[in-house]
Amino acid sequence: MKRHFRELSVTATLLLVLLGMAVFAPAFFQPQPLLSLVTREAPTLIVACGMALVIICRQIDISVGSQFSVCGIGAGLLAARGWPLPLVIGAAVGLGAVLGAINGWLVAGLRLPSIVVTLATMVTLRQGLNLGQQGAFVNLPDRVQWFGLSQSAGQWVLVLCSLAVLAALGLALRHWPAGRQVYAVGSNAEAARLAGIRPQWVTFLVFVLLGALTGLAAIMNVVQSPQVQPLAGAGLELKVIAAVVVGGVAIAGGRGNLWGAFAGLLLLACVSPALTHLHIEAYWEKAIQGAIILLAVVADGVRQRRSEP
Amino acid sequence: MRALRGVDFDLAAGEVHALLGENGAGKSTLIKVVTGAHAPDAGEITVAGRMVHGLTPTLAQQLGIACIYQQPALFPDLTVAENIGLRLEHGGTARRIDWPARRARTADLLARVGARIDPEAEVSELSMPEQQLVEIACAVGAGARIVIMDEPTASLTQREQGRLFTVVRELRAAGVGVVYISHRLEEIFALADRVTVLRDGASVGTHPVAAMKEADLIKLMVGREVAQLYPPAEAPPGDVVLDLKALGCTASGVRDVTLELRTGEIFGLAGLVGAGRTELARVLFGLTPADRGEIRLNGRRVVIPSPRQAIELGIAYVPEDRRRHGVILEMPIAQNMTMAVHRTIFPRGWLRDDAEEALALDFVRTLAVKCAGPDAPGGTLSGGNQQKVSLARWLATKPRVLILDEPTQGVDVGAKSEIHKIIRRLAKDGLAVLMISSDLPEVLGMSDRIGVMRGGALATVLPGGSDAHTVMAAALGQETNKGAA
Amino acid sequence: MSAPEAPAGWKRLFLRYEMLLFAALLAEWLLFHYFGTTTNRRGVVVGFGTMDRQFDILRHSCEIGLLALALTPIIITAGIDLSVGSLLGLCAILFGKLWFDGGLPIPAAAGLTLLIGALAGGLNAGLITGLRLPPLIVTLGTYSLFRGLAEAITHGAVTYTDFPASFLFVGQERWLGLPVQAWLFALVAAAVWLLVHRTVFGRSFRAIGFSPEGARHAGLPVERRIALAYVLAGLIAALAAIIYTARLGQAKADAGTGYELFAITAVVLGGTSIFGGKGSVTGTLLGVALIAVLKSGLATLPIVIRLNAAEEISGLLTGALLLAALTGSVLPKILSSLRRHRQAG
Repeated sequence: MKRHFRELSVTATLLLVLLGMAVFAPAFFQPQPLLSLVTREAPTLIVACGMALVIICRQIDISVGSQFSVCGIGAGLLAARGWPLPLVIGAAVGLGAVLGAINGWLVAGLRLPSIVVTLATMVTLRQGLNLGQQGAFVNLPDRVQWFGLSQSAGQWVLVLCSLAVLAALGLALRHWPAGRQVYAVGSNAEAARLAGIRPQWVTFLVFVLLGALTGLAAIMNVVQSPQVQPLAGAGLELKVIAAVVVGGVAIAGGRGNLWGAFAGLLLLACVSPALTHLHIEAYWEKAIQGAIILLAVVADGVRQRRSEP
Repeated sequence: MRALRGVDFDLAAGEVHALLGENGAGKSTLIKVVTGAHAPDAGEITVAGRMVHGLTPTLAQQLGIACIYQQPALFPDLTVAENIGLRLEHGGTARRIDWPARRARTADLLARVGARIDPEAEVSELSMPEQQLVEIACAVGAGARIVIMDEPTASLTQREQGRLFTVVRELRAAGVGVVYISHRLEEIFALADRVTVLRDGASVGTHPVAAMKEADLIKLMVGREVAQLYPPAEAPPGDVVLDLKALGCTASGVRDVTLELRTGEIFGLAGLVGAGRTELARVLFGLTPADRGEIRLNGRRVVIPSPRQAIELGIAYVPEDRRRHGVILEMPIAQNMTMAVHRTIFPRGWLRDDAEEALALDFVRTLAVKCAGPDAPGGTLSGGNQQKVSLARWLATKPRVLILDEPTQGVDVGAKSEIHKIIRRLAKDGLAVLMISSDLPEVLGMSDRIGVMRGGALATVLPGGSDAHTVMAAALGQETNKGAA
Repeated sequence: MSAPEAPAGWKRLFLRYEMLLFAALLAEWLLFHYFGTTTNRRGVVVGFGTMDRQFDILRHSCEIGLLALALTPIIITAGIDLSVGSLLGLCAILFGKLWFDGGLPIPAAAGLTLLIGALAGGLNAGLITGLRLPPLIVTLGTYSLFRGLAEAITHGAVTYTDFPASFLFVGQERWLGLPVQAWLFALVAAAVWLLVHRTVFGRSFRAIGFSPEGARHAGLPVERRIALAYVLAGLIAALAAIIYTARLGQAKADAGTGYELFAITAVVLGGTSIFGGKGSVTGTLLGVALIAVLKSGLATLPIVIRLNAAEEISGLLTGALLLAALTGSVLPKILSSLRRHRQAG
């Protein structure tokens, strides 16, 4: 019970908020808008899973927003050129993996601090994209929309897909030796090395995985509208990091899990509609996001101080 | 200076072979060589009848050599079961983890070493002795044929010790060879079959334990005193400058220290590793402030909550870990020397290169620091000269009490003698010197009085002329016929 | 961990790097002057080579320069502050609000804004040194919080304009031949240079960056010094906000967006190590100049004008530059460890 105090308290808070919404703003629970909301957040969930791994490994990646945009535009351009959908999906994931690999090589290979590296790649990718696209949207062929299914079916596919990724990664993190290695490296890289693990390899691979997941998320976002916006990924990194940190993944690495990240994401996703129903302007969202990150980190810090002699 | 010289050591299956020796005798180096962390310059290692070349940590592990260090290398955020699992399971990444089996195996291993630890407990929540037990469980689980234990009972309770002895006996019965390093003679007599004593990097004999008495062991450890010339005291000590009464710090384990320090005297602080000497120094310097007892400086009661306060009061501490706490290697010598005296040498906050250089050149001269100039980075100096720079930093604060922690550790013979002369000169000039040292001849030769610490407390204070046997016995906690002062 | 093998004279090596930077700056300037200056149909010289352009560069570089100066002590202590750009935006808005909604005279509003900036820096400082939280995530949180507050206060729409001419003078006019804010910038640059290179504070920053525990054992008040660096950064960011507002004539919530990248790049390019300890304000200034000239010069190149992509290309190049600077800084370490591996192997 104590081990998962954070995850449980976040879930409890989430339930409280949902309860509050049920009482004060029952309109929130109408099936169709709710499904649309959840579908919109599905890509974010996938990126959050990847980000959780990176942070558990004691790194960070603030370039996911730009990766998302680039993969989305890339996928859109290929689709517009007539590529079949499976190939487009594969290309998006592959592109994301390559971008992640670049980050991974700089951090694990050159031993550079991940914050500054991903700051640089974030801007380079974003500006490169702006240069290429000049802000233009990419119009998508109809067959791409909702994977060629009806909107409702497509939404369910997306939601289930994201939940499947969550479940698969969550289980792998828990029950697969490779997954535990991520925790080991984040907790004590030197002890990991002595135990026969290769910390640099593990670090590199989590960045690649995050990139691939970002690519997947991008394509999941692409199929939701008739056009791809180059600005699609803006602010994604903060949203995802906030969700993950709130959910109990410690910045210092080595602890936290995907269920917490999931609960954190849902909680934060409720903030925006909650604000609307409380008649608070949407402009407070970023400030609240920042405040939530700070509160979560302070809570972690206080907990650590208390456990120290 | 060679850490090990021609050591012959053998371990039979199913025996407990104790390794005895004072600090710096070479035990750690021997362990490093055997576990593959250090390559030997000469000699050979034979395991199970086969000679081994190019021993590495991985190879050592494969050969069944395990070492339980005092600082466990565990994953603090993971559970005990997971820690043991990560270390012991080498099955590739494709298999699914069997948590129940892992938990059961961990529980079994923990029970075998007598550890009352929940396999699901997080390692960061365990105390140090408990973490050690986890390490031992790991070694047992790894099926090691050669288990080296480095001071395993240092922080265990009586009952935990008893359980550990049972584990060791079980290992022996199972045909495992145990190298048992300890300074607790009663343990050696209780557990070991044979004992090898190291002194100054060489082995001075391997004997069956049954044939030895305590006094014999102490004699071997200490040996005959080499007639070394240490600068003598020229005048009797002056007034009491530092007065400690029942001083204690719960967090660091220092308890009930009562002593007086006089100007002009060198008070040697002897004791084995873990006895609490550095911890006492850190209390006096404000790094881990005292929470019990009194400190009086020149008769006035003082409180020392921080290093800054200690410096203001005239207490200086030259730390043991030279490379991490003493000298900042990337910064120039002159800047290192002025690091503690910004308030006096740069009174209004502005740096003054001329004053800094003058101070540096002065100390370079008086302490005979061999360097390329005051601008050379600290990292370009030899160990002995780095120590001099560290010393200079603290002398610049014009202290009344100077605490030296292992002042000549890792320093070559020539520089050692220089430093000794400097220390005596400082005492003569009116400083009260508290010298922590594991070098027994140094303690005996330099000190006007010798305090011996054991288990965080001051066991006894001996006069300067005491012999090595008495000091070592006091450090080990043995009764001696010679009686303590 | 082996000590640097350089003989006495690492100072000389450092000066050499700054010489390199200066040479690069000169080369860059000449390049843009050659390719970016043309004579238009009326025979007037336009483009990079004009005095107006140079003053523009100077004006634009003041704000990023101030942020880079603010970051230099922090990075020397092996910390980081991602929130300076957002703080600039927040302070700009608050300044406008104090003047417009609050009715305060400009100097009072400016003074209060500086105070607010220092307090915001104090928030970072308190969380980082008081609660011992990692600077990375704390300033990531305040990066979002400050910008969010700016957006919330202005409802994303409000812009403060119509500042009195006496105030706009600071951002748009010249004094004794140079843009006014250049004088302010020079003042701050001198102050920061003195702080870092000629005071005990700067000496402490360096020691803390190389070895926080070593500094503590030497009796240095580690937490107080680190806190000072963050509070100072907040103060300077507030000043940058005021100058920004004066230059543009308006205060908007998106002021300073993306500035942190340029600031960090300038600092790292200037030779300050991201790992702490090593650092130079002169290097930072040269780094700022390099980036400012790059940004402005790109906008005068015919290709860039045709593509209408000045902002994108400069952002792209800056990101690449940061990566190159980072890689360059660790290259010696990697090469020497490779050499050691080959020798031992």
